[in-house]
Amino acid sequence: MRNVFQPESLPELWRVFEAHPGASVCAGGTDLLVKMRSAMMNPESIACVDRIPDLRGITTEEGGMLRIGACATHGQIVSDPAVRRMFPILVRAVENLGSPPIRNMGTIGGNICTASPAGDTLPPLYALGAEIELRCKAAQRRMLLKDFISGPGKTCLRQGEILASVRLKPPEGYYNNIQHFEKVGQRNALACSIASLAALLQVASDGVVLKAALAWGSVAPVVMTCPDAEKELIGKPLTSETLRRAAAAARQCANPISDVRADRDYRLEVLGNLLMRLLEVAPESAPARDY
Amino acid sequence: MLEVGYSVPRFDARSKVTGEEKYAADCFPEGFAWGGVKRAGIAHAKIVGIETAPARALAGVIAVLTHQDVPGTNRQGLVHKDQPVLAAEKVRHWGDPVALVIAESRETLARALSLIRVDLEPLPGVFDAEQALRPQAPLVHESGNLLLKGEIRAGKGEDALGECEIVVEETFEVPFQEHAFIETENGVAWQEADGTICMHVSSQAPFRDRFEIAHALGIDPLKIRVSSPYLGGGFGGKDGATVQCLLALAALNSGGRPVKMSWDREESFVAGYKRHPVRMYYRLGARPDGTLHGLHCRLYWDTGPYAHLGGEVMELGMEHAGGPYRIPNTEIEGWCVYTNNPISGAMRGFGVCQVSFAFERVMDLLAKKLGMDPLALRIKNGLRRGDKNCCGVTMVHSTGIVPCLEALGRHRLWTERDEWKRSAGPFKRRGTGIAAVLNAMGYGRGLPDSAIARVELTPEGKIRVFCGVVDMGQGNSNAFLQIAGEILCQDSSCVELVHPDTGRTHPSGSSSAGRTTYTYGNALIRACEELKAKLFHRTALFLMLDEPRGLALAPGAVRHLPTNREVPLAMLGKSFPESDRVCISEYVMPVAQDVPDTGKDFSIGFPHVLFSHAAHIACVEVDELTGKVTVEKYLAVTEGGRIINPQGFEQQVHGAVGQGIGYALMERLMMKDGRILNPDFTNYILPTSLDLPDLDSIAVETVEPTGPFGMKGIGEVGINAPLPAIASAIEDAVGAAVNRAPISAACVLHALSGRERANDADGGVQR
Repeated sequence: MRNVFQPESLPELWRVFEAHPGASVCAGGTDLLVKMRSAMMNPESIACVDRIPDLRGITTEEGGMLRIGACATHGQIVSDPAVRRMFPILVRAVENLGSPPIRNMGTIGGNICTASPAGDTLPPLYALGAEIELRCKAAQRRMLLKDFISGPGKTCLRQGEILASVRLKPPEGYYNNIQHFEKVGQRNALACSIASLAALLQVASDGVVLKAALAWGSVAPVVMTCPDAEKELIGKPLTSETLRRAAAAARQCANPISDVRADRDYRLEVLGNLLMRLLEVAPESAPARDY
Repeated sequence: MLEVGYSVPRFDARSKVTGEEKYAADCFPEGFAWGGVKRAGIAHAKIVGIETAPARALAGVIAVLTHQDVPGTNRQGLVHKDQPVLAAEKVRHWGDPVALVIAESRETLARALSLIRVDLEPLPGVFDAEQALRPQAPLVHESGNLLLKGEIRAGKGEDALGECEIVVEETFEVPFQEHAFIETENGVAWQEADGTICMHVSSQAPFRDRFEIAHALGIDPLKIRVSSPYLGGGFGGKDGATVQCLLALAALNSGGRPVKMSWDREESFVAGYKRHPVRMYYRLGARPDGTLHGLHCRLYWDTGPYAHLGGEVMELGMEHAGGPYRIPNTEIEGWCVYTNNPISGAMRGFGVCQVSFAFERVMDLLAKKLGMDPLALRIKNGLRRGDKNCCGVTMVHSTGIVPCLEALGRHRLWTERDEWKRSAGPFKRRGTGIAAVLNAMGYGRGLPDSAIARVELTPEGKIRVFCGVVDMGQGNSNAFLQIAGEILCQDSSCVELVHPDTGRTHPSGSSSAGRTTYTYGNALIRACEELKAKLFHRTALFLMLDEPRGLALAPGAVRHLPTNREVPLAMLGKSFPESDRVCISEYVMPVAQDVPDTGKDFSIGFPHVLFSHAAHIACVEVDELTGKVTVEKYLAVTEGGRIINPQGFEQQVHGAVGQGIGYALMERLMMKDGRILNPDFTNYILPTSLDLPDLDSIAVETVEPTGPFGMKGIGEVGINAPLPAIASAIEDAVGAAVNRAPISAACVLHALSGRERANDADGGVQR
């Protein structure tokens, strides 16, 4: 027997936590149910948080910040007009996550708290400098997503605390802004990422890179950012030579594993190669986009 | 109206889509208990002891059985009886069953299985067919690791290669493939008061199952009744006992209660059958003008620890080793070998799928060496009626490979291939490849391929078809109703089907070998014609006609055309006793009349005489940055005689190509010491709808005079071509040869980057 709670508000949730401190949180269940079936988890109690209004919805706040409730499903995110307008990089990552049924159940909060290096929403959220909001009965705190995830499956979430929302600043400087995401998987749906790249570039009209934020999935214990690779791009024209140098820096930075999906060598090669795709989306070959 | 040649909607479509249709997996009889199996969990070991007492002591456990409780020979198998129902002295693969538990609930069953301790003394294992033939190899069976050595020889054999100006040589490897049916192996069994064992099971061969169970458990086969509803997929993986002997054993020990067994996905992977991995050494010789002259090949088949249909799969593969080509001199050698890998057995393409990769790849090699167009080389050497195939058997039935290749050659994917290749986008390379294949129909000599059809006019005036051959999803039962409706002029509301049941229907063989619609359909046509004649005769009595002339069937009635008078079928149905409302007829598939003096090692199966043919073209795009291969466009041209249901035909072609694309690019069973590392659909990668191209399908409609309405079976031929066509297309795109499957993105990437792969063990591309 297992207790399953469906609190309708945060106060109700805190009462569940008080009575059942070991309760597992279930947002969409697409990870939790898999882990329970394979006996990796066997929680005594489950608290389903998806009915709590404070954790739902996608709203624009003062200062243009976008707040995505932790229980927003992937399906809601890809169809949200504000997300589509401001963060095509996130849309691209989420629209290939799992399959339609998984996107209808799985949530952004779940994807973050599972903290898999292969989590599809994570590289774009890292590149966007996402901030997260954590809540417990007594307090609320905010931190950068990259500081929240500490290892594969590991986060700074405290007992009795939940992830409430993700906050994104609007990307600055829309002109020639490049938002690029690519995932390499073993097939085109229902695929766990072998390597993925999220790239956010500000490219001037003369083709010189002004700003760059890069993040890779599945090439290190946590999502990898690489200031060295970004430095190779900033202030330089977006050419294959520039990108090759950035790729070399990224390969230096990465520490991929070999697993049932791919070996280390393949991941090392591909994580750098993925940068070359930026040539395709660069201003020379693609018309300037107005996001 | 049910017209043959028209896409009548499938009779099973509505009930399957709505979930009304009851598969064996949906059968939960009152008071049933759960049965389950403790498996070895090691690839090769001596059994020292089996500790069952703690499991027996658990509340809710009805019985715990071991080999000591198996009453008969404890040996199952279709041709070679070498597979224990429950392992006795040793275990020979990871999934070998050691104990059988019957319990009140699934939870208790799982708990009881975990309480069974099997004391095992590990033995060194052997996991490669060629290594298993070495003198010092660990023995899987005491009799040795060679299940069967076979040879097929025509003309001068291997010596003819010495006469060839051009010889190409290469080695190929193909992997395991999982059937991956949606409905895993399952069934329910119980014992009747008179001792009869009844079983409702997801099986491709309910009639044969009785004999397999009877042999293994030492019971009278006629005291076993097996029924099979629609299957949620089979593909060969349910041809031969899966749960059957275990369920019958459970039914003998459950105190009369029904016992249900249903393997979960992981158990299906570990214990179920697979497509045989094969290593193939090929040498093909030709004259300077491209005329094929000699073929020599050595084929090593890994059948795992038990024969299943290993010898027969190898036989069919060897019989097709020369492809759809005229090769006067051949020497084809095969070794079917025991290993401690999972059990290999029947799967769609049945050995042909494997050799098709090799012979089409050497044809490409030859075309390259000759500087000849690969399509022209194939058309030049393609078998025509009257030619002898690579075994020396004369092709006397419809032989459509050349028309298939000609149709392919006229298609835009072929004529516009250069332009398509040139228009690849940034970081993309494109290529096209073709493959010509064939697939035999039926059991071949030594095992009559027969079916017995029974058709009945019910008292309500409906036409009831008693079908003795299983429909595992391929749509044969739909074709049967269509045939009955066509001949007896009834619409779909007036025909009904009785599923295979050894107690109600007649033995009609297995659902396999591309034979179901051909053989049973022929029997059914005869039965329906007899029923029609009988109905005319009885109508003549009603209408006081001097003779049964001027009569025609109309929906629901027999009509006398000159007078427009009708006798309703319901009236006819009520007017005669059952014995007079039934017609039973049979059919036996023709066999080769010119049996060549070779292939003596095969007790059954050699040779075949009826073949379907296909030519496919694959257009692939390779990504230079990731090595990812996308099949962008695809055409399948299929020759299988006339078509009874075009939609059913298309579905078979699409399904076969999809499954073939998985075999070519994705499906890889990862093994370590005989253990499957990816026994689930998370990591055993099947193609999804987003991985499959838009598929063009062209039917080359020859007429097979012996076929029902001129048809032949095409369920298998389509899976033989995707791997060679895609491999050829990748070679065209990246300029490196592809000789091993599945073709991973990693290997393609390494071929592109011009570097040797340090560890090429996981298959793919050779420069």
